[in-house]
Amino acid sequence: MDKVHISRKIWIRLAVIVAILLVAVLMFLIGKQHTILLDNKTLEFGGETYKAFSIVEVQVDKEDQLELAARDRDKAVVTGQRHSITVLYMDANYEEIEKTWKFSVPLGEDMLLLSVPALVGGAEPAIWLTHYEPPVAAAAPVSEEVVVTEDAALLGDF
Amino acid sequence: MSPLKETNWQKVLHFLENNTVPVLFLVICAIGIPLSGYSASYLAQEVVVRISRNAFLIIALLIPIMAGMGLNFGMTLGAMAGQIGLILISDWGIVGIPGMVLAMIISTPISMLLGWGCGKLLNMAKGREMVTSYIIAFFMNGVYQLVVLYIMGTKFLPIRSSSLVLPRGYGIRNTVNLIGIRKSLDNLLAVKVFGISLPLATFAVIALLCIFVVWFRRTKLGQDMLAVGQDMEVARDAGIRVEHTRIVSIVISTVLAGYGMVIYLSNIGTLNTYNSHSQIGMFSVAALLVGGASVSKANIGNVFLGVTLFHLMFIVSPMAGKNLIGQAQLGEYFRVFVSYGVITMSLVLYEVRKRREKSRVGRELAAGQTAEEA
Repeated sequence: MDKVHISRKIWIRLAVIVAILLVAVLMFLIGKQHTILLDNKTLEFGGETYKAFSIVEVQVDKEDQLELAARDRDKAVVTGQRHSITVLYMDANYEEIEKTWKFSVPLGEDMLLLSVPALVGGAEPAIWLTHYEPPVAAAAPVSEEVVVTEDAALLGDF
Repeated sequence: MSPLKETNWQKVLHFLENNTVPVLFLVICAIGIPLSGYSASYLAQEVVVRISRNAFLIIALLIPIMAGMGLNFGMTLGAMAGQIGLILISDWGIVGIPGMVLAMIISTPISMLLGWGCGKLLNMAKGREMVTSYIIAFFMNGVYQLVVLYIMGTKFLPIRSSSLVLPRGYGIRNTVNLIGIRKSLDNLLAVKVFGISLPLATFAVIALLCIFVVWFRRTKLGQDMLAVGQDMEVARDAGIRVEHTRIVSIVISTVLAGYGMVIYLSNIGTLNTYNSHSQIGMFSVAALLVGGASVSKANIGNVFLGVTLFHLMFIVSPMAGKNLIGQAQLGEYFRVFVSYGVITMSLVLYEVRKRREKSRVGRELAAGQTAEEA
């Protein structure tokens, strides 16, 4: 049987295609945007209660610092999978404590709920970082945004 | 003294004849700028933005001109591919420069396929490439609308984001917000000089493309394209694969147009799903012609002169019209008919010049023969 001969040219082309695909995957990984909802509510899980802070300051990566009162929720929009979160809170002795955790966001998740009390309380990551599905409510149709075009948009009418 | 030697006056006339369109635009701008009342810094800022937004797209037109295929109105196909890339990255939530790069990568195989098909068709319509590519763009616009309006959002091409899908459950909305990639490239390295913001990263990308075009002309393929552009039969006799070379030129142009569209829309920040691409071919061609290019000859200088003059006219004409007559609408109509007029005028002048050149060569030959006989 004849041996199939693959020329150098084909090898180079295949290598280029593979390299481009790898770049595409890399871009997908580093460019994926996630919304993290930072939740300061009392959480009960497995018989354990993680009590909400009366006031807590949270910072995700180098984003703006967010101040959350009890039962508050805010959001941080981050890009990529690996992030850090810094929490500044007061303990029972009214001493300020600042702690930083590192965490990863699953690639397929667009929106996650991060429970600050559970995080500080030392719960498992699966407890303080959970998938969040935004509620879908019946709403009136949203009007389309104003179309931005090149200034001579009238050309299209000609 | 040779009887055919030009006087200074004839030289000036010859220059004006060869540069009618840019000179005309210079005159229009020179009249329009004082009438508009805009400050120099405002105009400079606007021109800088327009150059960064449009230059890549216009440079994409240069390679088919090299190969003698005229102005590639089929660049719209690449623009559609770029838009499909942008819709997908918006759905996947990929933002910033990675989003732009991914959109470009997605657009590449689509552009290559469309460019290859377009090139094949243009090879069947030699000598009528421009009108053929124009009609191909119309035809493919229908196919694009079919895909975006009826296939995207179905199980064949799922789109998850409710902000992209029409309320009926499939098809893409009229506008796609590109906030995730808006001005990502422009703001990557922006420097203020005399109060004017210069998007250096975008200029660097455009400069790289210019270097690529200059380098490409010197390669074997580039030389083959020039030879094909000069005379297809002679090129074929010299062993050049004429049809293949022409297809490659269209494929490169279409792929570059796809990249250019991603840069263009990232600057604007909103994708007008069903219209953005349709205007692009016309704008780019008009800008290149305003820069002094012709159907058979264009260079990088024409791109930058053209985009500056053409968009300067765009910026000043509504306000000039308003200040002159009290109606901005007149300025709007003015620039519409000027855009189409400049394309018509350039095409007519090209033909006139070609005929004059022919007769001039004939006269020179006759004069040479007479001199030899004497």
